Amino acid sequence: MSEQSGSGGTSPDGRSGSSSEPGEGGTTTAAPPEGPLSGLTERMSGAISQVAAAGALIVVFVALSIAAPSFLTADNLFNLASQTSVNAVMAVGVTLVIITGGIDLSVGSVSALSGVLGVLLMADYGFDPLVGILGGLLVGAVAGLVNGLLVSVVGLPPFIATLGMLSVGRGLVLITTGAVAVFGAPESFRLLGQGVIGAVPIPLVLIVLVAVGGHLVLTRTRLGRYAYVMGSNSEAARLSGVPVRKHTTWVYVLSGMLAGLGGMIAASRINSGQPNFGEGLELDVIAAVVIGGASLLGGRGTVLGSLIGAFLVAVIRNGAVQLNIGTFYQNVLLGVIIWLAVWWDIYQRRKLAGESG
Amino acid sequence: MSRAGAVLRRRVLPLVCLVALLAGCSVHVRKPTGVAAAHGGTVRLAVIPKAIGFDFWEQVRVGAECAAAERGNVNVYWDGVTSEDDVSGQQSLLQDSLAQGVQGLVYAATDAKALADVTRTAREQGTEVVNMDSGTTPQPPDVPVYATNNVQAAERGTQLLADQLGGRGKVAFIEFQPGTSTNETRAEGFFRGLARNPGLQLIARQSSNSDYNTALQVTQDILTANPDLNGIYAGNEPSVLGAAEAVRQAGKAGQVKIIGWDTSEGQVESLRDGVITGLIAQNPFKMGYRAVDAAVTKVRKEAAPPPSTDTGSTVVTKENMGTPEIQRLLNPSCANPPE
Repeated sequence: MSEQSGSGGTSPDGRSGSSSEPGEGGTTTAAPPEGPLSGLTERMSGAISQVAAAGALIVVFVALSIAAPSFLTADNLFNLASQTSVNAVMAVGVTLVIITGGIDLSVGSVSALSGVLGVLLMADYGFDPLVGILGGLLVGAVAGLVNGLLVSVVGLPPFIATLGMLSVGRGLVLITTGAVAVFGAPESFRLLGQGVIGAVPIPLVLIVLVAVGGHLVLTRTRLGRYAYVMGSNSEAARLSGVPVRKHTTWVYVLSGMLAGLGGMIAASRINSGQPNFGEGLELDVIAAVVIGGASLLGGRGTVLGSLIGAFLVAVIRNGAVQLNIGTFYQNVLLGVIIWLAVWWDIYQRRKLAGESG
Repeated sequence: MSRAGAVLRRRVLPLVCLVALLAGCSVHVRKPTGVAAAHGGTVRLAVIPKAIGFDFWEQVRVGAECAAAERGNVNVYWDGVTSEDDVSGQQSLLQDSLAQGVQGLVYAATDAKALADVTRTAREQGTEVVNMDSGTTPQPPDVPVYATNNVQAAERGTQLLADQLGGRGKVAFIEFQPGTSTNETRAEGFFRGLARNPGLQLIARQSSNSDYNTALQVTQDILTANPDLNGIYAGNEPSVLGAAEAVRQAGKAGQVKIIGWDTSEGQVESLRDGVITGLIAQNPFKMGYRAVDAAVTKVRKEAAPPPSTDTGSTVVTKENMGTPEIQRLLNPSCANPPE
């Protein structure tokens, strides 16, 4: 950790408009709110994480293309994109949370809640798919709001707040559905998870939209920059006038909403709301974020990295099935890759710290 | 004073404990004593499926409640965990039911070995036990099981798949929880069927983890790797639904034959559409009905309960699905029960 700086009273200016883009582009002056030390070193180590994850992705990709002749086909790449989409959009939300030093364990349950309630809106109340999808997002956002308020106002540790929501969310799913799957959404709802625009799968479009949105939030908005500050040193953030409560709450709202989107995509893929969907999904999502270089201690992580992580997880699962490798072995493989990815990250970071320090 | 207190704590207390221990408080696992006394004629039964939230278990419930209503003066407490692999959760639930003092325990064991203890404890405290769908190992001789003969039914289903493929082709197996007895018996029957039809070639075996989305993904991937796949055998409801959805989305409906277990609404619909070509139907209503009926008989000590029986299975196809017998099996009710 190279950046426990004093944060010498650089209070972020409260006025609007002025600071347009200090995040990515402005390399020279205007010390970003992270503090003086963070600049180059931090950016380099961030790049290393992504390079490591991307490297692993490429290696696995090439290996599979050779081992499984059907891997590198249009059909399979289409499948891969839609299979990844659920994890990927959820990983973007969880990335935001993890950057603030928090965690969101509830995304699996929340995605199931959004899925069944969204489908219920269409199937039982006859709403348009668009309303159903927005309803699902809203459900996720409300669950996220509760998480956020529990963390920021009540003061529960994020682990506990979202662990509670994991259970509450699953309970609400079972109450509202009687634990029976919800069928009967209109056929057009399938478009969200199965449709194409031209030759491009809609789930892939959604990944790109969410990723670009998430990247812009992190790099171009106050919320994003404060997220890094809060994750690096929440006490310093508070003292320097960052409205920690408000922004913490927002981060969880976004994570909940994206979990809702993930739930709706999953529901659309099978055109039904499944009450047991997403059990254990939070671990796959967190794995993607961690493989992508985010630190569970906060202050570090990128949307691009998490996206690469999500694709890596999906490619491994996809390839393993094509090679007819059993589920048990798939789990071991995935765990080992998590270890390797994070180890490589730490190793490179140490080397870098040794050179610069 | 405080010194005396310290001596008391340090010397005397351990001594007292030791004496007390020697005097006869043996160390053992506490057994609940229960309150099995009859409650003015009303028989109280806990009926615990493997999990709630599946069509199959809903039909078991209908059968159980039907038997309770027909016998009269029977209260059924229906409760279950939400996942069929939550063995410890089910164990706790069963223990809670015993502690509440039901007179009869009717349940489907999520794990044959782990739950044998619960059956033993129940019988030690005088609670009658009946199993439905899945029993325990060992199965006490006077605890009947009302269940499907999975091996036989699976073999019959596999034979239908072979017939539909004209005895030859590449097939895939979507299992759901490797290692569990239901999964393995359904696999065993499948492999027996394969052995009888050497023209069938098993090219992939993958697990859905009983999750619809996972079943969809693995089937998509299997289809990608094997574009010449001819048939799929799927082990339970979510596995069948996911396999059917994958085949549908690949535009291979009818071309890839799908035989699978269970008969939820979505599965029957796909059978009608021709995406699924055969469903192995059990008789969950009968399991619930028979099990509760036997439990009431045992609690009231009227007679020896009927012995363990195979509740039967039927292979449902598009051709026979309209017949009254099959309709009763697919939509059982107390007024119109299946045979």
